[in-house]
Amino acid sequence: MSFKRPRASSPSSSQKRARGAGGPGKYIALGTELSPEEDDDGSFVPVWKQTVTDERGRRRLHGAFTGGFSAGYFNTVGSKEGWTPKAFVSSRSNRNKDATQRPEDFMDTEDLAEAAESRQLETVQNVATIGRIGDTQNDALFGLFVTEEETMGVKIAQKMGWRRDQGVGRKVRRLAHVDDGSAISKDAPSAHMFAPKDSRVMSVAQGQVNRKGLGYKSEARLGTIDAKDKEDRPMLALPFFEGSAQSPAPRKAAPKKSSFGVGVLNDTGSDDEDPYELGPKITFNKTIGKEKKPKKPSKFAKAGDRHLFVSKKAHGKAALGISYDGKLPLRGFVLATQIVDLTSKRKLPPPMIPPGWQSSKSGAPATDAQNYQSVADVAKSSTLDAHARASLLGESPLPGRSVFDFIPKEARDRLATLTGNVNLPQGLGQTAPEGQQSAAKAQPKGLWSFVPVLDKGTAAAALAKGATGWMPYAEDLKKRARYVGFLELRAGQKTDLPERPDEMPVSDWAKELQEFAHAAEVFKPTTGIMASRFTSSTASHQIGSTDSGNTLLRKPVAKPEDPADQAAKLGMYGPMTRSSFPFHPSRLLCKRFNVKPPPDVPCDSAPDAGDYSSKSRTEEAVSKSAMDRMLHEVLTKGAPTLQRPAWMNPTAQERVPPAAPSTEHATVDVDTNEALTQERAPEDVFKAIFGDDDDDDDDDE
Amino acid sequence: MPPFPTKPIAKLTGHNGIVHAVAYSAGSSSYILTGSADRTIRLYNPQKAPPSSVVPSSSAAYPPGLINKYSAHGYEVLSIDVNEANDRFVSTGGDKSVFFWDVQTAQTIRRWTGHAGRVNRGVFGGDGDSVVVSASFDGTVRIWDVKSNSYKPIMTLDEAKDSVSDVAVFDAEIIAGSVDGRVRSYDLRMGMCQVDVIGRPVTSVSVSKKGTELLVSSLDSTVRLMDRTNGQLLKAYRDDAFVNTDLRVRSTLGLNDSVVVSGSDDGMVFAWDLLEGDCLHKFKHSEMREVRGKGVGGKEAKGKKDVVSAVAFCKSRKEWASAGGDGNVVVWGMDG
Repeated sequence: MSFKRPRASSPSSSQKRARGAGGPGKYIALGTELSPEEDDDGSFVPVWKQTVTDERGRRRLHGAFTGGFSAGYFNTVGSKEGWTPKAFVSSRSNRNKDATQRPEDFMDTEDLAEAAESRQLETVQNVATIGRIGDTQNDALFGLFVTEEETMGVKIAQKMGWRRDQGVGRKVRRLAHVDDGSAISKDAPSAHMFAPKDSRVMSVAQGQVNRKGLGYKSEARLGTIDAKDKEDRPMLALPFFEGSAQSPAPRKAAPKKSSFGVGVLNDTGSDDEDPYELGPKITFNKTIGKEKKPKKPSKFAKAGDRHLFVSKKAHGKAALGISYDGKLPLRGFVLATQIVDLTSKRKLPPPMIPPGWQSSKSGAPATDAQNYQSVADVAKSSTLDAHARASLLGESPLPGRSVFDFIPKEARDRLATLTGNVNLPQGLGQTAPEGQQSAAKAQPKGLWSFVPVLDKGTAAAALAKGATGWMPYAEDLKKRARYVGFLELRAGQKTDLPERPDEMPVSDWAKELQEFAHAAEVFKPTTGIMASRFTSSTASHQIGSTDSGNTLLRKPVAKPEDPADQAAKLGMYGPMTRSSFPFHPSRLLCKRFNVKPPPDVPCDSAPDAGDYSSKSRTEEAVSKSAMDRMLHEVLTKGAPTLQRPAWMNPTAQERVPPAAPSTEHATVDVDTNEALTQERAPEDVFKAIFGDDDDDDDDDE
Repeated sequence: MPPFPTKPIAKLTGHNGIVHAVAYSAGSSSYILTGSADRTIRLYNPQKAPPSSVVPSSSAAYPPGLINKYSAHGYEVLSIDVNEANDRFVSTGGDKSVFFWDVQTAQTIRRWTGHAGRVNRGVFGGDGDSVVVSASFDGTVRIWDVKSNSYKPIMTLDEAKDSVSDVAVFDAEIIAGSVDGRVRSYDLRMGMCQVDVIGRPVTSVSVSKKGTELLVSSLDSTVRLMDRTNGQLLKAYRDDAFVNTDLRVRSTLGLNDSVVVSGSDDGMVFAWDLLEGDCLHKFKHSEMREVRGKGVGGKEAKGKKDVVSAVAFCKSRKEWASAGGDGNVVVWGMDG
């Protein structure tokens, strides 16, 4: 860490001066002369020269009117240069030891704390397993996943006499195992009861399913679990696997033998070690933090070396009958020599369904193949046509009609034979609608195709809207009449062709009809909420209704006019046109106008609270204002509404409002100010308070 | 019946737009402040502006009689009111704010913003002109405190249903005329508001000296004198030639409340006898002459700009001023 220290004022100048003075030998100066900046004799130092330092001499409170507090250099760690300037000093006798800088040199306390915090190894999730407490010492893998807490099972077992690192079960009378290699006293009586040896629960790795991809070779993989497992076999002590792996099956040719870069040093003696594994084995143990592995028997191990663990070969031969818990297998059981592949799930064939079995839960009844009819067949056999189906479904009939509705059956058959299309609709031979039966009138029949389609409901609604409210084409009444005619036609009230002005070409007429249809869609009345939100424009309607002779357009219901407005229109000014309502001027306003506020103004209104709305005043403090008003009425013997207002009185004297008689009702007298008009206090009171000051002033003058 | 000043004695030129506001200075009433649609306020000395004065050709030169220009408005100026001490005035206009000016320095002392629409009128009020009452297109009357630095109004009166076109202060009453056809008199002493229905949009409100009558202009070509005590109509002033149906035209009382003067939509100025109600004089503002008989109006060549939108009566002399659409203000005085 580095701090900015105030630069010590160099004493060199003063010293030099002193030395220089002494040089000639004229004067002798003793001691160090105080520099003019450093004299601390209580003389005046301007504020801007004063500095505040902490106990270590670092300057604090700089800048921003000396209120700026900073630590370090602009609230950063370090100095202006970014590090602590330091001279490198190294001599033969005193070598510089701090040659290398560590990151910690540049960390402040916070960073250090953070770094220390990040160093702790934690499991993401605490895993609790019963009976596995304390086994982390000799279990490389499972130690990771075991919590340090005691599980309930451990607690219960401990209450029942179980201790850690003991096996569960009845105590065994046996000789004591001495692990330090000293001689076991054979003559000692086996009088001691020992807890049975702790034996591992067979770990059935259910979750681990070694599914490997195509072309996967575990040998070629770096740091595989398998290799490690085998490497750590003595530690893991999984005799269950061991026996099988140990099996008399012929060994594979060790790939390491032929690989490059694998020397004798790397050969740890393990048969299946992956030669391409990264780094020495030590690295594994380092991360987990367990103790150093027990020394493994190497190829070069002496025969006399003591085995602290069950060796593979010994196990293979001697432990013929000993199962994983160190006991003989039960009678009639033979320890398995083949590996039981518990990790891979066996796939069993699905059960055979007995012939003739029929599920009682079969869903859909079996359809009879003979009775099956395709939809097309059904449709073919149906006698309904499109109109009949539409009527069955409740649809409104389409206005357009097919040619086949009108041509006779024979004509249709002829068409079918001519075209070869048998799917033509049935010829109904219907008669043409009235008005166009005559073949001579081919023109209107063709014109009908120009009449656009409009929903009957829409047409009726648009028509109704025109009757009650607004209707388009107010500027062209003839056009409006045509519009109404079109709507009537589509609403079903009329059947004849919409009228066409003589001068209008058919194309324009068709265009206009299209426009009508569009307008009817647009101007159909709104419904529901929308309808309640809008009202017809009265102005345009008045224009339309005044000069339109159409009976459909009624005059709108005039809004009920205010009687006061009516009276004003008639010129009956006076009580009819006059009304009044109370409002509450703000106190500040009354003060500015120099008037007494009306008695019902709430007293608590802050004078300069800003925007006063009279409405808000009215709602506020109703009870109080009502009380005041009632009191006022009682006191002035009359209702305020009947009172003649103050401004009606012609003379200025009477213009002062009828002030309430001074009773318990709090009044403010504008004309007199008690504080000003009150008798002045005796002179000696002032003297007692201000006398000294006055005297001083006199003395000064 | 005292004689009516009919002779143009001064012509104040220089404005480039319709003059919407004209106000005499307080005290001796020797100066005239005009506010125009050209966004400027001008202070004139009418004695130095003869009726023959013309606008100088160069825009930099001051027209005769012009003393000072006050330019801070960004929109048209609609009203001007001078305080009693004659050192401050208030102006309002289309920029939704009320400007409080210092006459000497030609700087605004305060600008009150808060109205949501153009401010039609701003007048001084209260004891020692300690408040400014402004009436706005947003339908509110706001009262601003001159004495404090608050940027909020002391009070807002928002009962009007439409634009408040004019406001007047008499004693402790605030009288506001609105386009909704009503005149509301807020009595601060009583805490009551009297609503008088006029029926047609009110464009101008002015109170008589006694405070018992109220002159109301409305858009039915009628100026009415209302009795403030009971709301009755004392007199209605009409004339065949008097047209006021579209524009805001001010009316005023003059000659010690004996005549009623009003501008009109078509550039005419009308003077009625207060008591009798008959039209005494008609003036053609743009031609600076009195018109006699019926042959008036019809001169639409001037276009829509020919309107007399403001008239002001001098309180101390027999003199009045009319402000017209041609950008000129004509001061009318006695013959002698």
